[in-house]
Amino acid sequence: MPPDDPIALLSVRGLRVSYGGAPAVDGVDLDIATGEIVGLTGESGSGKSALGLALLGLTRAPGRILDGTVVLDGTDLLSLGESALRKRRGRDIGLIVQNPRASLSPLHPVGEQIGATLRAHRPMTQASAHQRAVGLLRTLGLNDPERRAHAYPHEISGGMAQRVLIAMALGSGPRLLVADEPTSGLDVTIQAQFLDDMWRSAREAGSAVLLITQDLGIIANYCDRVLVLQAGRIVGNAPTRAFFAAPADAYSRTVLALRHEAPPEPIADAEAPLLKVQDLSKIFPLRRERKTLQAVDHVSFTIRRGETLGLVGESGSGKTTVGRALLRLVEPDGGGVIFDGRSVTEASPTELRRLRRRMQVVFQDPFDALDPRWSVAEILAEGLEASAGPGRIAELLNLVDLPPDTAKRRPGALSAGAQQRVSIARAIAVEPALIVLDEPTSALTPLARVGVIRLLRDLQARLGMSYLFISHDLSTVEHLSHRVAVMYLGQIVELGTRAQIFGAPLHPYSKALLAAHLTPDPSHRRVDRAVVEALSGEIPSPIDLPRGCYLAGRCPVAQPACWETPQALVPVADGRLVRCAPAAERHRRFAA
Amino acid sequence: MSEALEFAGAGTGGDARARFRQPMPDLLFRLGLGVVMLSMVLMLIGPWLAPYDIGRPSEEIGQPPPALAAVPGLLVDVVTGETHPSIHWFGTDDSGLDVFSRVLAAPRTDVVIAVGANVVSLVLGSLLGLLGGAGRPWMAGLVMRVSDLVQAFPVFITGMILVTLAGRSNTTIILTLALLYTPIYVRLTRAEVLTQRQRGFVDAARALGKSEAAIALRHVLPNALAPSLIQASVTIGFAILLTAGLSFVGAGVRPPTPEWGLMIAAGADQMVQGEWWPSLFPGLAISLTVFGYAAFGNGLERRYAA
Repeated sequence: MPPDDPIALLSVRGLRVSYGGAPAVDGVDLDIATGEIVGLTGESGSGKSALGLALLGLTRAPGRILDGTVVLDGTDLLSLGESALRKRRGRDIGLIVQNPRASLSPLHPVGEQIGATLRAHRPMTQASAHQRAVGLLRTLGLNDPERRAHAYPHEISGGMAQRVLIAMALGSGPRLLVADEPTSGLDVTIQAQFLDDMWRSAREAGSAVLLITQDLGIIANYCDRVLVLQAGRIVGNAPTRAFFAAPADAYSRTVLALRHEAPPEPIADAEAPLLKVQDLSKIFPLRRERKTLQAVDHVSFTIRRGETLGLVGESGSGKTTVGRALLRLVEPDGGGVIFDGRSVTEASPTELRRLRRRMQVVFQDPFDALDPRWSVAEILAEGLEASAGPGRIAELLNLVDLPPDTAKRRPGALSAGAQQRVSIARAIAVEPALIVLDEPTSALTPLARVGVIRLLRDLQARLGMSYLFISHDLSTVEHLSHRVAVMYLGQIVELGTRAQIFGAPLHPYSKALLAAHLTPDPSHRRVDRAVVEALSGEIPSPIDLPRGCYLAGRCPVAQPACWETPQALVPVADGRLVRCAPAAERHRRFAA
Repeated sequence: MSEALEFAGAGTGGDARARFRQPMPDLLFRLGLGVVMLSMVLMLIGPWLAPYDIGRPSEEIGQPPPALAAVPGLLVDVVTGETHPSIHWFGTDDSGLDVFSRVLAAPRTDVVIAVGANVVSLVLGSLLGLLGGAGRPWMAGLVMRVSDLVQAFPVFITGMILVTLAGRSNTTIILTLALLYTPIYVRLTRAEVLTQRQRGFVDAARALGKSEAAIALRHVLPNALAPSLIQASVTIGFAILLTAGLSFVGAGVRPPTPEWGLMIAAGADQMVQGEWWPSLFPGLAISLTVFGYAAFGNGLERRYAA
């Protein structure tokens, strides 16, 4: 909890930073009290990172601090010389940046690097610095910290590297920690573990934190107060609960608007499903080790007409491969795909090309998915018959809410959100019955994401297509899906309606995934819950999988039998499928 | 409204810093561009710019170039239109031919051969490289093994033998050099094709029901050409060197065609007698041209690699 009587630890007045042109930070005043965790958000380009760097005196050419004061504990940091500033950096202010591996030296063991940071600010022997480094890693929840301390950065996972950075930043007990998008690129469960660690360490050490992020879910769960930056100015400053109750600025209101929109209701069981996938499998051979990687392991599901099936899972779960195997963009090794009564897996090349036109794909990276040499009009015309004129292209652009003059531009001249809209327009141009949406919102800013989610929902309502919506982001899945399948290491571990999965997940992995999901709602903070669902460790390598349940090594409720018995996907009373015998058993007893 | 904000966010971040940091490579690029343009102009109209007839010898045999100190005065004379008996800027060779005129006229042979050979091998190499990267495995294997085979022979000696066997004409030299340079483009294109085939727009085209051949020609090849086009600039420079080298050893164009390699060879005998000018100036011309094309190619690469 923040202290009752906040005394400003950091006090910024009239800070202005310019990178040439309009100031990136334009007259910012802010205060951070001792031990307070403050979230700083705003759209991309609003000057968040520029502000964070300026606080540490790390503004680099062509950037320049025009005027203002940054007073920490009574000293104006901007008036200090470089060497005096360097002493305070690390001792009084810590920094955690986006890319954990790039921030570590590849030539030194991580324990040594933590030790070196400690010794830079406080005289101590090498041995005691090492002892303290190991201790820090242990408090941060790394198992076997003695061994990890001797590991080089390339030998540890991204999540561990991120924790090494916290150890370095918090090691000398700084009064203020600046964390700039510390979890972007991490999987949701790792992100939650990391933020839990950071939150706990900061609270224990009494450090204040300035957490810079675009993700309002993170802010709702971990911050005491929210600052919103727009065009270099602070446009919102409120305690977290008040902020989420009624966001004052336009940006946050837009991003949070989806909260109040009802997600789609399940669709009644029609006669025959549009898509039927049975025991779909894909194995990738690994050349070096003569082993194989089972990317997709007997996956079965159906999608009805007009329905959205959400496919969620972390990186390496095989969800993308499932989507690509449906269209045979990767050739499946086993199982069948029946689309609209016809077999895709047994189709001849000509028939396959005809079938593919009725099942489109939208990819994660919109820039990669559009030929950079073609204009938008040419891209959209690619799937159309030659007879379709410019009228159809204008119509398509209108459908995806893009201005008509977009047709003449090339993808490189568009924002990521607009590129993704072009990608969607290309997919709907051929009037498909099913669109595979492979993480269509992951490369977008929160603002663009809201627009694309709305667009996808409108298009489905208007055109009646089915979606396979693949994502690791549970919020977007919740907004779009009628039913949800959870994947872990190539297998579906739970499949049910959105209400079932999001309301009361049964499988331990679904539970952990949902517990790690940071909803932008401060009344259900993760840090207030006793998180029993948390998994230990990280996702094992999909090359050497255990004989029994793949989750056994991380599962909080694993029984000895789980290690030996492969689990089957079995139906439970309320109609969903679960791949966990103990969970199904508990559910049965509960229902009885 | 959301879309307006989205667009406002696009196009941030400046490359001003990157541009500021490297003034030197940009200067080299411009120098290279100048040389390339000059060589193209000379290739087209070089013989008509020559002040003397390139085929008819004059009386003045083995005349040295004017002394450096006299050059400014002579230049002023030329500009003001003062008539002057005969200025041989680079002197005359032992047949009485004006070296300056022949240096200007030579690109009509050297650059035409080098550019011609590279155009042929670029076209051939890109198509074969596309086969090598996106064709059926047996076709790809065949293309790559034949490339290996061609590259296994030393370029200069193979060129000598082929030109001698096929007859010493400009066409045979062009075709020989084209054959020798094709594997370079095959490899470059293939590597880029392998990358471009993984791009999302290729899968998107597949999903639209396009055939593999149509995708290869319409999406993959155009996006895979950039490295080859950049390489072409560097290779043209070396092709000029090779053409001149072949002529120098007597396996290239026939005398008395104005050609840099031939001119160096013809002047080499007089070098020991102190007549340095018939060989030196064509030699400088080759150096400058090769350097210019290489600098231009490197500059292009730096600009478009990022």
